[in-house]
Amino acid sequence: MTELKGVTAAAGAPAAAVAPPASPAGRRHRPRRQVVELVVLLGPALVLFASFVLLPICISAYYGLFNWTGYGPLSDFTGLHNYKLVLDDPVFRSSLLHNLIIAALSLVIQLPISIAIALLLNRRMRGGSFLRMAVFAPYVVSQATTAVLWLLLLQPGGFVDELMKAVGLGGLVQEWLANPTIVLYTMFVVLTWQFIGFGVILLLAGLQSIPAELREAAAIDGASAWQTTRRITLPLLGPTVRIWIFLSMIGSLQVFDLVWIMTLGGPANASSTMVTYMIFFGFHSLEFGYGSAAAVILFVISFVLAFLYQRFVLRRDTDGALTRAVR
Amino acid sequence: MLAAADAVRRPPAPARRQRRLRPSVPLSYLVALVIVAITLVPMLYVIVGGFRTTAQLNVAPTGLPHPWVWQNYKSILTSATFWQNLGNSALISIVVTALAVGLGAMASFALSRYKFPGREAWYLVFAVGLLFPANVASLPVYFLDKQIHLLDSWLGVALPEAAFALPITIIILRPFMRAVPGELEDAAVVDGATRLTFFLKILIPLAKPAMMTVAVLAFVTSWNAYLLPLLVFTTPTHFTLPLGVATFQSTYSQDTASVFAFTALSMLPALAFFVLAQRRIVGGLSGLAGAVKG
Amino acid sequence: MRSTRTPRKYAAVAMASVAALLLAACGSSGSSGGNSASGKVTLTWWSNANANPLLGVFQTLMKSYHASHPNVSFTYVPIQNEQYDAKIQVALQGNNAPDIFFQRGGGFMATQVKSGEIKNLSPYVSSWIGELGSQAQAWQIGGAQYGVPYDLHTVGFWYRKDLFAKAGITAPPATMPELESDVTKLKAANIVPIAVGSKDQWPDAFYYDYFAVRECSVATLEAAVKNVTANAPCFAKAGTDLKSFMATNPFQPAFLNTPAQTGAGSSAGMVASGKAAMELQGDWDPSVFQALVPKSEWQSDTTDLGWFGFPAVPGAPGNATALLGGSDGNSCSNSAPEPACADFLQYLDSASAQKLVAGASLLPANPAAASAVSLSADQSVLQASKASSFTQEYLDLAWPTNVGTALDAAVATFFAKPTTTSTQSIVAAIDQAATQQ
Repeated sequence: MTELKGVTAAAGAPAAAVAPPASPAGRRHRPRRQVVELVVLLGPALVLFASFVLLPICISAYYGLFNWTGYGPLSDFTGLHNYKLVLDDPVFRSSLLHNLIIAALSLVIQLPISIAIALLLNRRMRGGSFLRMAVFAPYVVSQATTAVLWLLLLQPGGFVDELMKAVGLGGLVQEWLANPTIVLYTMFVVLTWQFIGFGVILLLAGLQSIPAELREAAAIDGASAWQTTRRITLPLLGPTVRIWIFLSMIGSLQVFDLVWIMTLGGPANASSTMVTYMIFFGFHSLEFGYGSAAAVILFVISFVLAFLYQRFVLRRDTDGALTRAVR
Repeated sequence: MLAAADAVRRPPAPARRQRRLRPSVPLSYLVALVIVAITLVPMLYVIVGGFRTTAQLNVAPTGLPHPWVWQNYKSILTSATFWQNLGNSALISIVVTALAVGLGAMASFALSRYKFPGREAWYLVFAVGLLFPANVASLPVYFLDKQIHLLDSWLGVALPEAAFALPITIIILRPFMRAVPGELEDAAVVDGATRLTFFLKILIPLAKPAMMTVAVLAFVTSWNAYLLPLLVFTTPTHFTLPLGVATFQSTYSQDTASVFAFTALSMLPALAFFVLAQRRIVGGLSGLAGAVKG
Repeated sequence: MRSTRTPRKYAAVAMASVAALLLAACGSSGSSGGNSASGKVTLTWWSNANANPLLGVFQTLMKSYHASHPNVSFTYVPIQNEQYDAKIQVALQGNNAPDIFFQRGGGFMATQVKSGEIKNLSPYVSSWIGELGSQAQAWQIGGAQYGVPYDLHTVGFWYRKDLFAKAGITAPPATMPELESDVTKLKAANIVPIAVGSKDQWPDAFYYDYFAVRECSVATLEAAVKNVTANAPCFAKAGTDLKSFMATNPFQPAFLNTPAQTGAGSSAGMVASGKAAMELQGDWDPSVFQALVPKSEWQSDTTDLGWFGFPAVPGAPGNATALLGGSDGNSCSNSAPEPACADFLQYLDSASAQKLVAGASLLPANPAAASAVSLSADQSVLQASKASSFTQEYLDLAWPTNVGTALDAAVATFFAKPTTTSTQSIVAAIDQAATQQ
């Protein structure tokens, strides 16, 4: 108990008043009662979490060692063969690459757009709250609905094509979902449409936590609006940006719904992602051992990427709950 | 750590002195107009498209309804499918939210205001869960459901979704609960309250903003989930709304106008919820940033 | 708020508890359930017949069966064809399969039988199944009848006589060079020559399958199915044939994301509405057409619709009249109430029921109803079956499911990038998947 005390006390750091529960309370309860209370409080969450988050990964790691169609007993033990097959499969590698491309494009395209819109919304302008709602609306619609919506819009000769022709961009009309070299970027545009609002809201919250006095002081010192934005606002937005990158990365790694409904990962796997790969080659072709191995590999990849980001980037400025947890 | 609370509670900063009108202002409005057009027109197109017939849609994909047809919406609203999907989604999302927030709050209480060996380790067990994308775990969860006979059962979707909502719930709630001054708890104890009554009567009301944040996050995530329901459910009467939309699209795609109408209707609950609870949702997401920021 | 310093040992404790939890979590459990019936029974039936005319036929048949067997009622669940396979798979694995369910036969059925959830119907059907002729045997595994077909399928080209005439084509092509020159003529007349539903992958595989049927001898094909391999050289030659056919660019724009049977924009929808001149599809295509275009349009179209078999490939050593096909049927799950389930399958194959199936532009499984085939184009299909000595089951269904999926995916990749994909890739994908048996 005592050795932990220092830790807990330090947790209250900046606000001295926020000291942890003082010892009297603790002393009053006998340890046994505390154990019972802890079991009651912590037990249900732990059981749920262990059963449905940790246990499935174990099951998959085990199934991955077998050649198994999902019917009948697990009898054909093949060791790490499935894991090797997944890693050797060029389709798996290109699926992983697609996830990374989506993550990278999010960083270089979605992020600047989100920052720009957030800066725009941060100004007081007429209809600002309507604009905020409009930008955010696509985010609350499910990805499945978004997929069906854009599938309708992107039909050959459909709304998007007709609209482009109407504004004189007819020459740029493409086979949006059928051209293997374009389809991934089509997916990215739809993803951007759906998720830009999320970034904007997050960044806007970050912007609003920057004291207005700082900007005003700079303005009095004769700094232009652009200079103030560049020198003061953006650097102070750093932590929010890094959180956004983290969430965007996790999102990019698990893209499924849009791709599955719009293209099934095709044509020729040109829009496949790690999760569509797992579902297609593990679930649909009844190679459950193989699919399990793919799931475990996906899990490791996601975990390692997220962990590294936590460890080396997020931790710098947000030494909060998350980072401490995974240090 | 109080940032979480602040972000949720803080009203918009009072308007400061009027800015000088810069030449860029008209440009801002133009940009804003373009943004609104890009985000809203696709949705409006589908909603309006639901008032046309398939023939109209085939002849002129971009036209306006002429005449307006109510039949598509009417037949969907009077058929069981849409309401079943909606009901299933609501049931699952509510149970997920209740479980995640309820169990998450209990666990956060234990992890924030009790002192016991290995506390940080237990916290870590939950916190690393944030690094497991739920879609990546879908196939493993499917195998588990198969083992414990939860396939095609709403529990087979709700329990895993609640479990996957726990990490973010605990990560947001724990610092919030820890920030409540110890003096409050001491005072409660002096008044004869047990720790559990302190939890229920004092801590929970104090943590309400953060609870709303996590509730909104859990609800929206569950409401929009597609992959796990796709794997788990086989009986169409068990489908959730996202699954229902995709199924309707592929089953009745020759009836394009109905697909438009069904898609439009499936957006409406989420959009209505958003308009009604806009401040909560936005506050929730901002709170997420605040909380993670520490 | 800045965080606490967590000493390393806590990290160690943390890791240890995660490990302990994982180990504790890694136990497993399992048991099985079932259901029973007594007196009045309700048969749950999952089928891919989700649109008229076949949906209407099944509904009529359920109604009339219920009228004569009041103790049997039905819950009919239509499931879109492309979603069906995954759904039934999940149900069989979850031990909650419906009583009656749509079955594709072949390797697809053989894979499912391994679940132990499919009933051996032999005791119930052996007395009458002979009426269906030799094809009923294709639904047996080791002498046990695991499914009962209700229709027969043959793949060939459905074409629009009106569009052919417009392009100056007088007779359907009999050889590949003729087909290729017809493609050129149709293009010159500004008509999409061939529609294909590549998004769904399996329609692409028809082309590869047919080239394999033309290139391989019957004995080679039979051995390839039995041994799950495509290592005979004729399978590689089929890839080369496909490549040279693809070079004529015969398909509609954006065919790679065109579905086969869903919606007016699907390949079937394009032929039905006269936006494309032909399509290589199963004989069921006219029944799909009817669901995709308004009834008024369809009536006038039936006379414009024609059928021709896959053209001969000059110099190919295989059988030039052999067909690609299969059949559709139903299986009963182990928990299905008997004799109701098997008895209903027999009813579906009765001459009167089969006439309704034939009336839905499908080829009946029971030869007794062949006379009811009304569509003139369907008569050409029947003639082709009579003239042919051999029908190869679709390769993606003849082989086990994972091999079939690999074949479809490989052919789809080939369709997407015909110039850069090696013609060997299809054979390689099949043999790779076959090692995962």
